[in-house]
This record gives sequence, C-alpha cells and structure tokens, in this order.
Amino acid sequence: MKDIRESILKTDGDEKISGQAKYVADIRMANMQHAITKRSTIACGEIKNISYPELPEGYFIVDHRDVPGLNVVKIIFDDMPVFTEKAITYLHEPILLVVGPNKEKVKEIVNNIQIEYIEKEATFEWKNSAVQYHFDKGLGKSIFENADKIIEYDYETGYQEQAYIEPQGFIGYLEGKDKVTLIGSIQCPYYVKNAVIQVLNATEENVRVIQPSVGGAFGGKEEFPSLMACQLACAVKKVKKPIQLIYEREEDMLVTTKRHPARIRFSAALNKEREILGFKIYCAIDAGANIGLSGVVLSRALIAGTGAYTIDNLDCSGDVFITNTVPNGAFRGFGAPQMYFAVEMFMEHIALDLGIDSLAFRRKYLAKQNDLTSTSGTFRDPIIMNEMIEKGMEISDYKKKRIEYSKEKSTKGIGMSFFFHGCGFTGSGEATHIKAKVRLKKDKDNTVYILVAAVDMGQGIRTTLRKVVAQILEIPIDNVIFDFPDTDKVPDSGPTVASRTMMIVGGLIGRAAKEMKKRWTETEFIVEKIYEQPEYIKYNDETFRGDAYPAYSWGVNIVEVDVNPVTYQPKILNTWSVYDIGKSIDDRIVLGQADGGLTQGIAYGYLEVMNHVKGVIKQKNMTDYIIPTAMDTGNMETVIYENPYAFGPYGAKGVGELTLVGGAPAVVYAIEQAINKRIHKIPATPEYILEMMNDGKNRL
Amino acid sequence: MVKQILPKNLSEVLELISKEKYRFCAGGTDMLIQNHNLKTLPIDFKDNIIYTFNLEELKGITEDEDFITIGASESLESILENKITPQILKDTILQMASPAIRHSGTIGGNIGNASPAGDLLVPLYLLNAIVQLQSLKGIRSVLLSDFITHVRRIDLRDDEIITKIIISKINFDKHQFVKVGPRLSDAISKLSFLGAVSFHEDKVIDLRFSFGAVNITVVRRPEIEAQYIYKTKEELKNSVDELLEKYSEYIRPIDDQRSNKEYRKTVALNLLRNFIEEL
Repeated sequence: MKDIRESILKTDGDEKISGQAKYVADIRMANMQHAITKRSTIACGEIKNISYPELPEGYFIVDHRDVPGLNVVKIIFDDMPVFTEKAITYLHEPILLVVGPNKEKVKEIVNNIQIEYIEKEATFEWKNSAVQYHFDKGLGKSIFENADKIIEYDYETGYQEQAYIEPQGFIGYLEGKDKVTLIGSIQCPYYVKNAVIQVLNATEENVRVIQPSVGGAFGGKEEFPSLMACQLACAVKKVKKPIQLIYEREEDMLVTTKRHPARIRFSAALNKEREILGFKIYCAIDAGANIGLSGVVLSRALIAGTGAYTIDNLDCSGDVFITNTVPNGAFRGFGAPQMYFAVEMFMEHIALDLGIDSLAFRRKYLAKQNDLTSTSGTFRDPIIMNEMIEKGMEISDYKKKRIEYSKEKSTKGIGMSFFFHGCGFTGSGEATHIKAKVRLKKDKDNTVYILVAAVDMGQGIRTTLRKVVAQILEIPIDNVIFDFPDTDKVPDSGPTVASRTMMIVGGLIGRAAKEMKKRWTETEFIVEKIYEQPEYIKYNDETFRGDAYPAYSWGVNIVEVDVNPVTYQPKILNTWSVYDIGKSIDDRIVLGQADGGLTQGIAYGYLEVMNHVKGVIKQKNMTDYIIPTAMDTGNMETVIYENPYAFGPYGAKGVGELTLVGGAPAVVYAIEQAINKRIHKIPATPEYILEMMNDGKNRL
Repeated sequence: MVKQILPKNLSEVLELISKEKYRFCAGGTDMLIQNHNLKTLPIDFKDNIIYTFNLEELKGITEDEDFITIGASESLESILENKITPQILKDTILQMASPAIRHSGTIGGNIGNASPAGDLLVPLYLLNAIVQLQSLKGIRSVLLSDFITHVRRIDLRDDEIITKIIISKINFDKHQFVKVGPRLSDAISKLSFLGAVSFHEDKVIDLRFSFGAVNITVVRRPEIEAQYIYKTKEELKNSVDELLEKYSEYIRPIDDQRSNKEYRKTVALNLLRNFIEEL
C-alpha cells in the first residue's frame, strides 16, 4: 500500500481552475432581493433619531425590532447585538438592513436614511479591561525575590487582516413557511446555525446552514459570519423572499474582525549563573468594541507565553481591553503569533544583554518530553526539536551565514525561530464544549459518504479526509464522497478552526472507517463516532492548570533577509522550515499550508500594515493593505518530520496554524542582525527600520 | 444617466467634446477603480464618458531623428515591448503595477490621472515630455510639467483630448530608476527616484533628477541641475551634500496610509546620494 503522504490531485483543483466552483455570490435565485447594511458614522454615542425616505413597495427596513428572539449574536461571550438598538460602540457598526429587488435603489435608500446621533467621547486607549486572567506555574512571581538580575522588555504587535480572496457573504431564503436556510462563506456551519436559532427563537429543524465553495477564511469566517447570518435570517423572516447579503471588499475590510493588536511585557528573573529562574508575562490585547472570543485569544496567547521553552516558574496575566474600534476576532494562530514574536525576541534580547550566544542559550531551555508545560501539564509525546533544528541549520547553512552576516558591513541577516502549536480546542473544550460527532455512511453500491461539518476553505480537507477513508477501507478514492456540509445532512463535528480538523475530526473519521471495514459485508449502514478526550488529559479552565492541549505540533523557521541600506526595505532571500506535524496526510497539501502559512507569518512580521486613527481603519482595500506576492517570498524549502500522535489519523496532528506562528520572530531575528538594532515592534516596516537606524538601541 | 460613447474615430470625439463635457476612459485601470460600484452594478461614472481604447489615431509609436512620438492610448505593455522605446522608460514600466494592469493601462491615462504617485510621469518629466492636445480648434503642445498643474489637475480644456506624447531622443551614460514600493511588485509607490547623467571628457554635460510621490507632482528642478554642468565627476561627487540640501527644499512628502513624510524624504535623498556616490 502507498504511504498516505504521497500527493494526489486536489479534489477542488479542476473546479476552481476552470471557474466552475460556485461561491455564494455566484448563486442566483428566482425573485432574489438585495440587502445592504446601513452603518454608523460615529465611533461612540447614541442614535437620537432616524429619518427614512419613503419606501417604494417591496422595499424593507430590517432592524432590531425585527429580531424575534435574543438580539445578541451567540459567539463565546455574547455581547454583540445583531442590530444595535441605540448605543453606537464603533465606527461602521451595523444599524439596519435595507432590502429590496433593485440593488441600485436599495443603495439609494441606504444613502438617504438620515441618522442623528448624540456623540460621546470615544475610547481608544487601552483602559477598560473586560477580561482579566492570571495563572502561575511553580513559585510564580515569588521567584523574583531570589533573582540576581532582572531583565524586562516590552513588545508590541499590530493588526493583521485575513485578506481572504472572497469577501464575506450569505444568501438566505425560506423553505416552506418557517424554515430559514442560509448559504454562506463560512468556517463553522453549526456556529451559524446555533446563533440563528437563538436570534429567531426557532427550533433546530427550522434553521439550515449550507456551505458553498469558500474562497479562504484564515479565521475571519469563524465567528463574524454569525452576525451577518443573524441579520439576514431576520430579514428573510420579514421579507419572505430569497435575499443576498454580500460584502464589498472595502466594507469587509472596515467592519470584519482582525488579529488583535497586543502589548506584551516580559520580565525574567536570572540567577548568578545567568540562568532563567522564572518569567513574569503580561499580555494586553485590544478586543475592539465587543469581547466576543477575545478572552479565548488572550488565554491561548498566555498559554504560549514560554514559547517552545520550559520555564519552571511563571506569573502569567493579561487583560482584554474594550475600545471603540472594530471588533477583533479569530485569525490563524489565535493569540500565538503575538506571543511568539514577543517571547522569541525576549529570549534573544536576554542573551544579548548577558553577552552570551543566543542560540545555545535558547536551545538550553527548549522543552523536552515530560517537561511541564506553561500550565503545568505534561509534554507527553516525544519532542524532536533538536533533530529538527540540526536539520534546519544544515539545509540553510545557518552557522556559517550567522557568523558572516554579523560582520559590520553586511546588510544581510539570518534568523531562526522555535515554536509549537497546541492542536484542537484549549483544555477540555473538545470534550465539554464541542463534543464532535461524525458519521460515515455506506451505500448499497459501496459508495461511502463522509458526513461532517468540516469546511474546505481551500486548505484541502475535501481531499485529505477522503484519502484517509479510502486508504483505511482500501477502496478507490472516487468511491468516497465528501459533499459540502449542510446542517440538515451532517452532524455537528465542530468548527473548522484551531488546527483541529484532521487531528480531531479526521481521527474520528479514521476510527469510523476502521469500524466500517470490519462490517464491510453489511450492505447499507452508518457508523457514528463521538469525541472522547484521552483520559489522561485533564485541564481546569478557571485555574489554567493541566494539559491545555492533547497534542502539539512543532516547528523551526529560518529566514534570510537582505535589508537595503538606502531604502531600508527588507528583501526575503530564502526561508527554510522544519515541521513535526505527526504525519503528513498529503505532502503537497501540507506544503500548501507551509508555504502559505509562513508567507502570512513573515508578512505579519515585516510587511502587513494596518492601523486606525480614532477608530478609522486607514488601509481599507487591497491597494493599501499590502500582502506579499510571490516576488516577495524568496525561495522556500520545507522538511516534514513524522512523529505520530496516537489519536490522529495515521498519527496526524495540526498543520494550519503551526506554519504561521513562527514567521514573524524568524524574519525579525534576521532583520535585527542585518541592521544591528533591537526590534520590539512588528510589523518591522522600512519606516520603523529607519526610525531604529536613527534612534534605536544597537543590537550588539 | 451619464452618456457612454464608443466613438469610431478621433473626429467624432472632437465633435462630441466641442459640444458637451466628457471624461475619457482609455485603459480604465484608474477610471474603473475611481468610479467602482457595488458588486453586480454597472460602473458608477459621474460624468459622460468617451472610451478611447479603439481610436487608431491615438495609437502608434514612431520616431524621427530627434523625437519619439507615442500615441496616448498605447498600453504600458506595448510601450515596454516596442524596440523604439528608450531604456529609461522601459526600466520604469517594468516596475509598474502588475502584468494585467500594464496590459490595459495607457500612457495618456497615466498622464491624465495626474497622480503624485504616477510612476511613468517620473521618466517623462526627466525627458522633457511634451503632451499634444487636440480640439476642433487645432493642436496644442504643452510641456508635461506645465500640463500637470496640481494633484490630479491638468491643463486640459473641455474640448481637448490628449493625443500624443513626444519625447526627445536622448541617451545618458548612466541612468537609474528606483521605485520604492511597499512590496516588490503590483504596488503603488511610496516614492520613486530617477537619476540620469552624461559626461564628456569627465565633465558633466547632462544631469537630471526626478522624484515621484514626494510632492504634489514629480519634482524636477532644471535650475539645480544646470549648476552642475561642466563640473568634473569628482567635483560633482564632492558637492553631494550641497546637492541634497538644494533638493531638500522641494522634497515635501505627506503622511498617508502607505508611508510617512520622514521616510519618504530620507529615502528620496538617500537615493540621490547613492546615485551620485556610485558614479
């Protein structure tokens, strides 16, 4: 039998290249109406009065009065209204929808609705804390009493925009009298369904969510689509016709969730032997106007606080701050990219301050099997980072380049980051919160159907899940069908997030396939599997104590740059990556994640700039929000290590986020070496590099 | 409703614009963006539009002994691929936008749009380009640097259309175009720099600099350039600080979503210094 990692053609390749794939905006329905959102023009205040133009027949206003159930979008922390009743908490907050048959007319009505506000002073400083977390490991901060030396630095990260190819959108319609069906560009069909049930006060049977082709998501379609879906569901109930609600690119960039900006302070207690006794870590993130899932982002950031290192004593704390800005949310990496940048730079800066070799210093603290994690859980599985680092150094000629580039005249730099990513939901989330359920159905003609709610947004799950099933059942892959999820047909296998799909959902599907194989002679049957947490995994969400994740993927990124001394522009020359992802289910698909993830991660570190001025996002289109092209990425080489995890299919662990989280520190290490300055903030743009050249602290 | 006209020839255009106000849409790479509408709705033009892409009279790249004449509707791509085109223009076009935009965008459009960040304007200013305008009343030729009067403002009467761009045939001993964009391709310039110089027996006989995106339009100062004619290369190199100081006054960039004043100014002057020092 072939090794499952051998690549096959991607299921969605032909339909996407030929243009036949149908995205939500391609769907046309008879009698389809158009909806456009009327939004606030202030960042903070109250609506005093709304005056409407005369509505022609067939045109509707849909607002908070049309919400039959709770006027709140079910996310994790439910504080986002479907339509605001009065209070305005950020610029472009949705107030109402205008719906009608002619889009030009709908646009005109939206423009002619006059809203008077009572404006209040908006808060953009980080002072209103809505969530506070704190946890210790070992002796916590008391270890600082024994310190011979304390080193402390601040780090700062900016917004990042998901920049998926396809903006957000839905089409909704009534089936029969009461049933609302929504087709949308989403990651989590059941998040949308459950949110709509609550808003419509509907029964489970009366809400259906279907996924069409999705043109990228990166976390941006995790929780935000629930807001649009809730609004549209209310409109469908009122108008009783099919309605399309598709965002324009600018609208999408101005109003949808982004990566949380973060400010992180690290303190290290060191002994006389210049060894780390413990860390104090403080992380603040800007949630924007709603909490939403920001608390979870903060917790994942804090859990990643020690990076790939074992630090025995920790005092970790953080705040989620509410500001009058666009709400931030899920984004590939989910708190980890901010923290990895900070912890990796901090380790380097400690070594520089102590005047010792930073690579040796960092390797000394690398986590090993059976070490305690930041939350005092245990790294149970083998950690092969040393082997991976050696491999990375060998293929990149790291040692030689590192020495050569440290010469004064050199404009080049090379940097290496170490990192891991916890796979699946944090703590007992998978077992208590998600409770994934999957089904595998065998037909009379031996066709096998994968029934899960996992979404293929381009990452390849439509290919890889089928591969797992076909390989286990030893049947041709064409006999395995994985249709787009439809909540009327598939069980809730959980959201397509948190690098969980192959490991958790695929693991369940793999176990279902094994059972199916045993019963293969039966003509027609369904196998159902429900997630069970491995018994040894125990975690307390309140105290942040125990095993935060069932498994960890590991990685090494090496980036080589040349910083132009005249224009201060960093040019990426080469990148090398080494990943332990348990087992590759398809090498080409893994490489797709590796190349794309690292590109997005590096760009987060030096290229992608987004900021707001008094709540106004300044980079609101793809002309001004710069993401890298192939010209900007340099040569990329990736090595995949196998280190199977017992509960993943064929040993697979998470891939999606791992490939992003190490990019920023690797590129910034390289830039620091190239310019011989310390960097404490990303993105490290040419403008920031110039500032550092003028006033920054020398690296050496 | 605005009118949208697809004319058969230039005389039809001249007739139309003599009677009523129109705007021109050549490649559309700026016009369609500036007038974009919601998805599925037609382009939201605010003025009457004449499409000029199929007018034969605005096509063609020709040369005589002294001049090269480029039709206003020639695309960046066809200018790039034409062997008559001077290298200095090719170097610029190669760094502009994306292949798709270069395929559609035109030289006349880049001039008519008069963006401070219009890359093609940088070599055209340096080459003393002349813009030829036509109306029923006749032909008018204007220096490009006079034609562009301000940010996105041009000296074009309502009854006129840009028909040709004329540049003198000059070869330089050395020229260097540097586009400083936020990424390596398909991006609007933060700033750009073009330097060109020729020597005769070690003396400067021609020296020109133009800077893009650091003022309301391209910065070109012939009176500063003239001060260094007949200097030796060594003298020119020795006066680099003074040269930078002179240009400093005219490099007045802005802060915006793409970059900031300080970066733009520092890098513009760095590029000038680098060009001189590497002679």
